[in-house]
Amino acid sequence: MEPVFLFSQFFNGLVLGCIYVLLSLGLTVVFGTLGVVNFAHGALYMLGAYAAYTVATHLQLNFLACLILCPVIVAVIGMVLEKLLISKLYKLPHYYNLLLTFGLMFIIQDAIKIFFGPEGEPFNIPDLLQGAINLGFMYYPKYRLFILIVTAMLSGGLWLFIEKTRLGAIIRAGTDNAEMADALGTNISWTFTLIFGLGAGLSGLAGVLAAPIQNVQPAMGMDILVQTFVVVIIGGMGSIGGSILAGLVIGQILTFSIVFWPPGSTTLIYAFMALVLVTRPRGFFGRVSFFE
Amino acid sequence: MQLKARHKIAGIIVGAVFLLAAPYLVPYQALATQMLIFAIFAIGFDILFGYTGLLSFGHAAFFGLGAYGTGLSLLHLTSSVPLALGMGILLAVAVAIPMGFLSTQRHGIYFAMVTLAFAQLIYFIAFQWRSLTGGDDGLQGVPRPSLGPVDLSSDLVYYYFVLLMFILALVLGVRIIRSPFGKALQAMRENTDRAMSVGYDPRKYKLISFVISAGFAALAGGLYAMLQNFVPLFSLGLDISGEIVLMTLVGGMGTIYGPVIGAMSIVYVKDLLSSQTDIWPLIMGVLYVGSVMTFRRGVVKELKERFFK
Repeated sequence: MEPVFLFSQFFNGLVLGCIYVLLSLGLTVVFGTLGVVNFAHGALYMLGAYAAYTVATHLQLNFLACLILCPVIVAVIGMVLEKLLISKLYKLPHYYNLLLTFGLMFIIQDAIKIFFGPEGEPFNIPDLLQGAINLGFMYYPKYRLFILIVTAMLSGGLWLFIEKTRLGAIIRAGTDNAEMADALGTNISWTFTLIFGLGAGLSGLAGVLAAPIQNVQPAMGMDILVQTFVVVIIGGMGSIGGSILAGLVIGQILTFSIVFWPPGSTTLIYAFMALVLVTRPRGFFGRVSFFE
Repeated sequence: MQLKARHKIAGIIVGAVFLLAAPYLVPYQALATQMLIFAIFAIGFDILFGYTGLLSFGHAAFFGLGAYGTGLSLLHLTSSVPLALGMGILLAVAVAIPMGFLSTQRHGIYFAMVTLAFAQLIYFIAFQWRSLTGGDDGLQGVPRPSLGPVDLSSDLVYYYFVLLMFILALVLGVRIIRSPFGKALQAMRENTDRAMSVGYDPRKYKLISFVISAGFAALAGGLYAMLQNFVPLFSLGLDISGEIVLMTLVGGMGTIYGPVIGAMSIVYVKDLLSSQTDIWPLIMGVLYVGSVMTFRRGVVKELKERFFK
């Protein structure tokens, strides 16, 4: 096999990994601070893609506007859900919110299916980002490169946000010791809403970015949700570094299994998860008795 | 106390009459059978979720494995019904042991996510292995042979056969719950550390509970395969995993009878609604949100609270 071909596959894996990184970052931050496994996370991702489709085709706005507007829309939807429903269950055993968001997943997905139809909508790569760019050793599609850059900037931005801002400090305190953060309590209720909004917004953004490389369709969220779970299980729940590393690894496994052994493309990541669970039951960076 | 005993006897009589007459009460006989099949599934699931406190989001794997195991045995190996059902259970248990071993290393919500991921693995294996499983066309032409002299091919006779299996499953389920083993499970659900300090090994108990519930699920799956003469790929899917959780939750987890009622009503309502509209997932979602937000102790406990206190 040509090295250039392998290189371009490696880049494809990185791009796919980036989508997983964005999704699992949102999931892990929400889990780490709020103790909620958000089963509706995939549905929010799908909402992001549909929001982009609607904004681009019906409002005729350009892709940059989508990229800013749609994650905000999804974040607001997430915050409303948190305020109305999810926040009511924080004091109960953790699985109640899991069940609640599982139900929300079905509601959102079916509502979109009723509204837009089950077939899915095409979404074109924006004109500005069409075509390929010469990287010196190979040509690579501009749009995919764009996803790489956006994810790298966002991961860096998120890291700065968590390390340097006040809200970030609360997130860190929450992931380190939720009870202590609660005891010291700032206005924890609105902080939680904001954090849930942040997670929803990240998954909405992943949906917008994925829209041009995938078909926008109602089941896209459900398909990617379980894979995102695998990423956070491997990375260690609540760990940001773990999400980034595991997301990129899973992206590579998926891409290269499609090249070398297509039947394994849907199963290898689970086998890898089993392997990680055997050797490191808490994932790459998971900590002992964390929300267990 | 006397009142309680009287209620119990009344309940048993009403239940028995209902179960005997059920094929004549619902729109078609096979629906009554399907209600019982999911009730068997729910008994096993309640042992794990209600009594052990482990929420599995991957139990469709065992329902489906039971269905495929029984279906494949009937197609290729044997025409003995008990043997085929046994093969289905054996297959599910053989998968449940390593899967349970890996997932019971984690607690609470991790357990839910890990079981979900493993169930997806099994789903995709069945999807890819077309030559054996028929892929997304499902396993076609599963026969329903006669059981000794009894011809099961009539839907009515098959209902009473499933009813017999249901009664056996219920008795077994209740015995497990009331046994010292069952009490140990409940002790672990309430306080794992304390159960550990008096000498129980929680991982061993959790694993056994996981495997038992997988066995019940597989029995239900095998009966389902024979009912439909067909094993659909979705029998392994996330929707079934979600529905069994909903059935247990709506009925009231940790009550055995509650999940049975939950399973039977949800199968009935689903059938009723799917013939009218195609928005079942939306309704299921609303039921989920509704039951979590309002009557999270389930109908059985809520009714007890309101009328029998």
